[in-house]
Amino acid sequence: MRLFAGEELDRTPCFSGMGNITTEGLKSLGIKFAATHLDAKMMADAAASTYKLFGFECGIVPVDLCIEAEALGCEINVYGHSEDLLYPTIRKKLIHNENEMDIALPADLHKKGRIPLLCEAIRLVKKDIGAEAPVGTYVLGPFTLAGQIMELNDLLKLSFKKPVKVGRLLDLLADAIIIVAGEMEKAGADFITVREMGATSDVLSPRVFKSLILPYLQKIFAKLTVPSIIHICGKTNDIVPFMAESGARAISVDQKNDLAESRKKLGKAALIFGNYDPYNVLVAGTEELVRQTIRKCMDDGASAVWPGCDIWPTVPGENIKAMMDEVKNYRR
Amino acid sequence: MVTEEKKKELLEKLKNAVIQYDEDTAKEGAQEALDIGMNPNEAIFNGLVSGMEEVGRLFEAQEYFVPELLMCADALYAGLDILRPHVQQLDLGVRGSVVIGTVEGDVHDIGKNIVKMMFDVAGFKVYDLGRDVPLDKFVEEQMKTESDLVCLSAMMTTTMSGMKKVIADLRAKNPKVKIMIGGAPVSQDVADKFGADGYAKDANNALKDAINMISSLKKLKEEAEAGKK
Repeated sequence: MRLFAGEELDRTPCFSGMGNITTEGLKSLGIKFAATHLDAKMMADAAASTYKLFGFECGIVPVDLCIEAEALGCEINVYGHSEDLLYPTIRKKLIHNENEMDIALPADLHKKGRIPLLCEAIRLVKKDIGAEAPVGTYVLGPFTLAGQIMELNDLLKLSFKKPVKVGRLLDLLADAIIIVAGEMEKAGADFITVREMGATSDVLSPRVFKSLILPYLQKIFAKLTVPSIIHICGKTNDIVPFMAESGARAISVDQKNDLAESRKKLGKAALIFGNYDPYNVLVAGTEELVRQTIRKCMDDGASAVWPGCDIWPTVPGENIKAMMDEVKNYRR
Repeated sequence: MVTEEKKKELLEKLKNAVIQYDEDTAKEGAQEALDIGMNPNEAIFNGLVSGMEEVGRLFEAQEYFVPELLMCADALYAGLDILRPHVQQLDLGVRGSVVIGTVEGDVHDIGKNIVKMMFDVAGFKVYDLGRDVPLDKFVEEQMKTESDLVCLSAMMTTTMSGMKKVIADLRAKNPKVKIMIGGAPVSQDVADKFGADGYAKDANNALKDAINMISSLKKLKEEAEAGKK
């Protein structure tokens, strides 16, 4: 937390603001992956286990990305029948065509869906490991959330054809996100990551990002009281300056970002988190590749060693330990 | 009588309609092509598809992004829907049917839809299973339709492993079927490990890769035919 306050640290922190429960952690607890989404205690225990087993310096809930969409009225699928690791998805959208975009927020949004469950999970992780490690949580950005509650196809085309209409929806969703994030803060979250991966430059032009997305991100960050991070994956080199203008305390990018270049652009004081590939390196890579990649993150000037996305649960514990070890022994 | 000049003008019109994502002009151009008795195949490939090729280039150059790409695809379909019923014989050399879908757990289907569009253009019979498709469904549909090709898409690392299962099942039931996989997390390495015949590098390259897929399939077919002789 001293990192967010801008203090000098004796080494680079190594944590995440996104999901990082592990199959090893689940096994040690005897919990099934699908069950973690629907039970506050299981969710909290699974989240704390990554810290307890491997020393990964945080506890993060939830595990999936459907909390807000569900609270707004979408139906979700947690794939309870499946033995595989399947993340919940939206089964039924809220908006089916352009004419249904004028929605209103439910008056008691903070009590809808799994928001109370998530807040309970935050309190539980906090009680469990909060004295030793920061407890974080995340919300989606307004554009990414819009892509969940309506057809992404339609949303993308309308952002081009009818930006005013899309802007109105994003404004409303920003309000919803502010309400949800407010609940998370009340529950005791130490930091909040806003995940706006739908607005990556793989999909949207930097120009549209600036005109259509950035204003609503700014609206959200102006209201958050705990340290906040804006996360966007994929191509981000051209939008890094806009991310820095969003009002977030830190920006988070993935392995497609040229971190050394971003560091140059944003200056020494900016907090930039990144940017190892959580699957191809941390899960599927050799220990040597892990060490090499983590060293490069720090060489490039990452303020925290941080993954480009959720960490896929089958990650070998040995690789997390190697990562932590590399961070602790790093000398510039 | 169709003059060369008129033909050129119409092809240019169709091409530009796709590039400028102008559905109305694409429809108009397609109808005109039919009215003057132009070969619909020519209108599709030298008009609509050549427009889409330019769109692919603009996308790669980061002048166009996904919204533009989707709108261009709409324009292409607007023209294609008018021309296709009049296509007598396809001259692409490959004809076949394909089962396509995004695997269970994954609701991203834009890349898949772009690949599907290229199969539509090429005159394939396309059985589109949509997104978040239960793994058994791919095998079931392939058996039912006796399709030559199955295309699996996954946008997320988190769903990619489902493809491995489908490929194993398909191979067990029908060793001859060709399997292509695509999506952001997929690589040649993954394709090899999972035992797929081909892969589309990522959603960005889906368009180009779809064209490559078709030509590689064409080559496979030619080789098979050469083998027969």
